[in-house]
Amino acid sequence: MSDSTRRSFLKASTPTRHQLAPAGIAPPAAGASALNRRVFLQSSAGAAGAVAVAAGPRLAAAALSGGTSTEPARVITKPSGPPPRETVMAYIRNAERNEVTVVSGMRETTYRDPVLVKRLVDASR
Amino acid sequence: MSSHREAPEISKDPVADNADTYAFVSPDRPDTVTIITNYVPLQAPPGGPNFFEFGDDVLYSIYIDNDGDALPDIVYQFEFKTEIGNPNTFLYNTGPISSLTDPNWNKRQLFTVTRVDCDETCVLAECLACPPCNIGPRSTPNYGALADAAVHTLSSGEVVFAGQRNDPFFVDLGSIFDLGDLRPFQNLHLIPTAAAPGVDATKALNIHTIAIQVPISALTKTNHWSGHANAMSSESVLGIWGGASRRKVRIADCANDELSEAGPWVQVSRLGNPLFNEVLVPLGQKDLWNASQPVNDATYASGVQHPELGQLLPVLYPGVFPNLAALSAPRADLVAILLTGIPPGIVPGFQNNTGTVLADMLRLNVAIPPASTPNPLGLIGGDPAGFPNGRRVADDVVTIELRAIAGVTYPLIDSSYKPDAAASLITQGLTPAPSRYLPTFPYVGLPYDGYDTPSS
Repeated sequence: MSDSTRRSFLKASTPTRHQLAPAGIAPPAAGASALNRRVFLQSSAGAAGAVAVAAGPRLAAAALSGGTSTEPARVITKPSGPPPRETVMAYIRNAERNEVTVVSGMRETTYRDPVLVKRLVDASR
Repeated sequence: MSSHREAPEISKDPVADNADTYAFVSPDRPDTVTIITNYVPLQAPPGGPNFFEFGDDVLYSIYIDNDGDALPDIVYQFEFKTEIGNPNTFLYNTGPISSLTDPNWNKRQLFTVTRVDCDETCVLAECLACPPCNIGPRSTPNYGALADAAVHTLSSGEVVFAGQRNDPFFVDLGSIFDLGDLRPFQNLHLIPTAAAPGVDATKALNIHTIAIQVPISALTKTNHWSGHANAMSSESVLGIWGGASRRKVRIADCANDELSEAGPWVQVSRLGNPLFNEVLVPLGQKDLWNASQPVNDATYASGVQHPELGQLLPVLYPGVFPNLAALSAPRADLVAILLTGIPPGIVPGFQNNTGTVLADMLRLNVAIPPASTPNPLGLIGGDPAGFPNGRRVADDVVTIELRAIAGVTYPLIDSSYKPDAAASLITQGLTPAPSRYLPTFPYVGLPYDGYDTPSS
């Protein structure tokens, strides 16, 4: 990622008072230890292409076979809880080539999946 | 100590480890406040060839609450960028570094300063130079001049510095973590050895300092400063803490020449009062504490009301703290010192109270003028310009907090309590050399160089 791209991304993510407010931070509670930094680092594979969502090969296949016209619309929602310890992650490796990489456990696979790439790009907007 | 490697996760991520935060009315410019946050603790000065530096992938923040709600009203952010002049050599420098633009300096850092006021973000300065690390007489022969050149005065009124310094925090790490030992009193310890002078473990270790000096009028709620006359006004008290954040998602790939990151900033370290997370938060909650915000610190109040160390002292020093051993009431004195500030009417002429929200912040009453003869014991030493009224670089916060936990401050809320005689005698047995500090910004002494340290 070029410096200019990274810089603009950093600026866009600058926390403000609202982002720093407690509403965005779950207060400590019993059983909430999964929200620590280790979990973020271990369970989050990353997003070289600026988009990362929980997804997987099955989802990619469904997207390819099912098309988009009959799928329900996306609904923005708040996370229902902390991420699982073993998250399946998908990120766009190269949007122009429709490449999406899926990381699960110790495996990593890159697919060409124009439908999923389009959905992820749309979801990032 | 005071927050060096204080939690399991951040101890593995030193560039984001906020080791200490300081805030005080500048002694030589009393219409300003100086705030210092230190990172990358416990640096051995010879640590090359990739000498210590800030993280390009870390957002360093200084938070100021000026209305008592424990939410930041002002944030100063610092972001760093490393530049390599010649990637075809392993050397940090290819000759003596005589200036901050010297081509012999091969790996340098520049930084950006941003101020956020509520939703308004203003980049104050970009491409400000850090000094190099202090390497030795051949590479950095005139280090003082290099460091001085890295003090930048901004057009918006702030003065900033970011770079390597000698760690101002002094502590006998080796003894305190050996079952709460204090060498001057270790003959009284449960496992006794002969009493001995304290050992300053951080004396010749370096750290990376972010320092900013801000006009007081640019920090108060009313954007107004009427001088050192209104100490009893709540508007004179600022809540201050530091923090470091990393991006939520990170991917490493050998096809990349750098790590890719995405997502919002996630806080991985913070520090207000010294030793709070270190001593008062149990091991199983320390990482979560680093990720949480001061406004939620009521969760950790029980560790302040019933500090584990207060229960251990009578055990570790049998017969020395009988009154402390019998004290079972919640420690409202420690809650006031660390979580709300001391309200008016407790210490004559002094308060640094921010209301009822329990939050770990340094609380600085900017109407208290700097002391002409500072006492390193701060308020308990009769000097209201020192800790816990903010924190100065030379304040002996270890001794202050140990004495407080031992019961010295409990009579502030219960005059019938008589502290143990030993409580007011607790000391690390350390007196840092005056050369460790500077009389002017950034107040923290120059770093030790790698050639001479450690000396044979």
